[in-house]
Amino acid sequence: MAGSKKSKERKEQFTTSSGITVKRVYDFSCALTTKTFEQKLGEPGMYPFTRGVQSTLYRGRLWTMRQYAGFGDAKQTNARFRYLLEQGQTGLSTAFDLPTQIGYDCDHPFAQGEVGKVGVSISSLEDMETLFDQIPLDRVSTSMTINAPASVLLAMYIVVGEKQGVSIEKLSGTIQNDILKEYVARGTYIYPPEPSMRLITDIFAFCANHAPNFNTISISGYHIREAGSTAVQEVAFTLANARAYVDAALAAGLAIDDFAPRLSFFFNAHNHFFEEIAKFRAARRIWASLMRDEYQAQNAKSWQLRFHTQTGGSTLTAQQPDNNIVRVTLQALAAVLGGTQSLHTNSRDEALALPTEESARIALRTQQIIAHESGVADTVDPLGGSYFIEALTDDIEQQSLTYMKGIQEMGGAVRAIEQGYMQREIQTAAYETQLKIEHKEDIVVGVNAFTTTSDKEPILHKIDPHLEIEARDRIAQVRSKRDADKVTQALNKLRQAAIGQDNLMPYIISAVREYTTLGEICNVLREVFGEYTPQQF
Amino acid sequence: MNRPIRVLVAKPGLDGHDRGALIVAQGLRDAGMEVVYTGLRQTVEQIVHAAIQEDVDCIGLSSLSGAHMALFPAVVNELKKQGVHDILVIGGGVIPPDDVRQLKSLGIAEVFTPGSTITDMAQFIRLHVKEKKWTGDFEPPTKVDHIGIAVNDMKSAIEFYEGLLGFSIVHDEQIEDQQVHAVFIQVGELHIELLESTSDNGPIARYISTKGPGIHHIAYRVTDIEDWLIRARQAEYRLIDEAPRNGGQHKRIAFLHPKGTQGVLTEFCEVIQSDS
Repeated sequence: MAGSKKSKERKEQFTTSSGITVKRVYDFSCALTTKTFEQKLGEPGMYPFTRGVQSTLYRGRLWTMRQYAGFGDAKQTNARFRYLLEQGQTGLSTAFDLPTQIGYDCDHPFAQGEVGKVGVSISSLEDMETLFDQIPLDRVSTSMTINAPASVLLAMYIVVGEKQGVSIEKLSGTIQNDILKEYVARGTYIYPPEPSMRLITDIFAFCANHAPNFNTISISGYHIREAGSTAVQEVAFTLANARAYVDAALAAGLAIDDFAPRLSFFFNAHNHFFEEIAKFRAARRIWASLMRDEYQAQNAKSWQLRFHTQTGGSTLTAQQPDNNIVRVTLQALAAVLGGTQSLHTNSRDEALALPTEESARIALRTQQIIAHESGVADTVDPLGGSYFIEALTDDIEQQSLTYMKGIQEMGGAVRAIEQGYMQREIQTAAYETQLKIEHKEDIVVGVNAFTTTSDKEPILHKIDPHLEIEARDRIAQVRSKRDADKVTQALNKLRQAAIGQDNLMPYIISAVREYTTLGEICNVLREVFGEYTPQQF
Repeated sequence: MNRPIRVLVAKPGLDGHDRGALIVAQGLRDAGMEVVYTGLRQTVEQIVHAAIQEDVDCIGLSSLSGAHMALFPAVVNELKKQGVHDILVIGGGVIPPDDVRQLKSLGIAEVFTPGSTITDMAQFIRLHVKEKKWTGDFEPPTKVDHIGIAVNDMKSAIEFYEGLLGFSIVHDEQIEDQQVHAVFIQVGELHIELLESTSDNGPIARYISTKGPGIHHIAYRVTDIEDWLIRARQAEYRLIDEAPRNGGQHKRIAFLHPKGTQGVLTEFCEVIQSDS
């Protein structure tokens, strides 16, 4: 297979994470296929968007530097938000703690030990008011990593906006709202798939009418990749999930061009530099063709795959943590060369704890250096036309389409997930990666090679243990101050609506306004919808 | 009593990150253990109940959500409350060094953070499950497996053992991490292991520079190497290897420090029973 000259090489075979064989050298013959250059690439900002969704890309406006942050209580996170905005960050991204993400108030028994740990604890509108205190919601865009209870947090955000005097159509931001990947890879599900899909399409419909600047979903490959998938699986499973949402919305009677322009995506930037760049380009091309040709969307905005990127958390090492700054830099560069719309760079200490303020600042500075010093943002798709990048883009596209076809034949993403198909595929890939590291076929610097014995221990972020108690006191106060009858009424109306067919968003907004808690709202929906229990595969 | 080690891999609390738990479960299965995985969102009571029901030897707790300080010790306490004292509890996840130390003082036997290998975990579990159930019974070593001899010059050593004495070489290998070239000579039932350093400051080079060439260690063949490490440790002999390591030639080995053994470096050596 190799050329005639067989000089000795470091490895028998060079492959990417997806098992794509990397050749010694690429030339024009690798980029020759039946499609023409125009069909495959086109101009930036034009179908099929391989080169990017905007014609000017970062020459117009740099990507949004959006660092995921949240810990402790709303007051602490509000302070971190304001710090990040002062440091030049251009959008907010909210991390919620696990009780919030699973729809439990901070005083629920299951919340014990988890309050404020992986994100901020939000139980009622009052917490949300504190979270965005002195942050004008008409001037920032806010991304919220919230899925199963997305409608409740969106409702809280809308009501906080109202109280600030910002009307709903001026709000901009994103809710993650991607339940399918929770079943596959992330684990913060509440309800079974069917009612979950209804909650999601209710949000699509509500926002199409009232919140035109809100991204109603961020369909996420990030967590699929973190769970151990390959780059190809990341693209294929994410886009298969995306199809399922589109199908659900169409089945609920929405018109494709009414909701498709507000679909957004979220990918990982992992280690294999070129494969990652090609991955972003391939994902754009697949989506464009799917939306235009298969779903017959007419609005060009419906064809555009806009995405957020986060550098790969699972690539960070607990050993020699400063090395992570370098990993993050390379991954962030891949995301930028791949044309991301927004970016989160991980902090060096995240394999050990939540980041300290200093680590978070270095991570943000990394983006700023790429943006302002490297020159890579000055032209669109600078690697377009590279023999290697184009060949890899083609390979990833082809392999992803094959996977997606298989999932369609199983009856779509929801069925594939219920059968454990995606979970098994990811698990197999994750285990193979682990074995390669243990056998030193894959080198991880500082872990299975180039180790040192005496790492000095970094200073790490600590969560105040009293916080959980204070949060419980606060929610008790909220419950005692509010009008209990109005809360009961709001919950009864919500229950009736959930049993029926109405769009649930207005009922949830009404309930939130009365300081009905997150847990109370989710409990009513649990009663009506039931809870998801995964099979063990 | 010779059933495989049984392990419960458990996810306490609300954390949904199960990549590590799933990999560990599969890896320990491949290492010959029986593994039950609880799935996500288990309460402390559910985990302890499952451990007792499944009659496991070890519980492996995984949390990446920062709730480990609340949840891991709670499992240890609940086991005590249920009167269970012979189940080993270990943990893993994104856990800062300070917390690791505290958890260990609260009865979590070991904490495996990112970068840990399944091989190390399996090794640890084998050794410590044994120790938990250790009765003090033992079988004496069956024989001298080999005698290690440090040599300055492999060529003349071979000339002596093969040329003059007429023994045959049965194995020849470079052990890179020990910076040593080892040649095994068959002498009746036992082997002589000739050891030549491949670098100026490897362990054998250092040995020769202080003591000169000559007998370096004696290795005893044992049927169960973990038993011997536990027995030696409990009798307060100093161990060079806290856990057995691979010695090549289908053997697992571990050394005792010569300080406690009248100056003789002593090795335990177990032949791995190939089961396939």
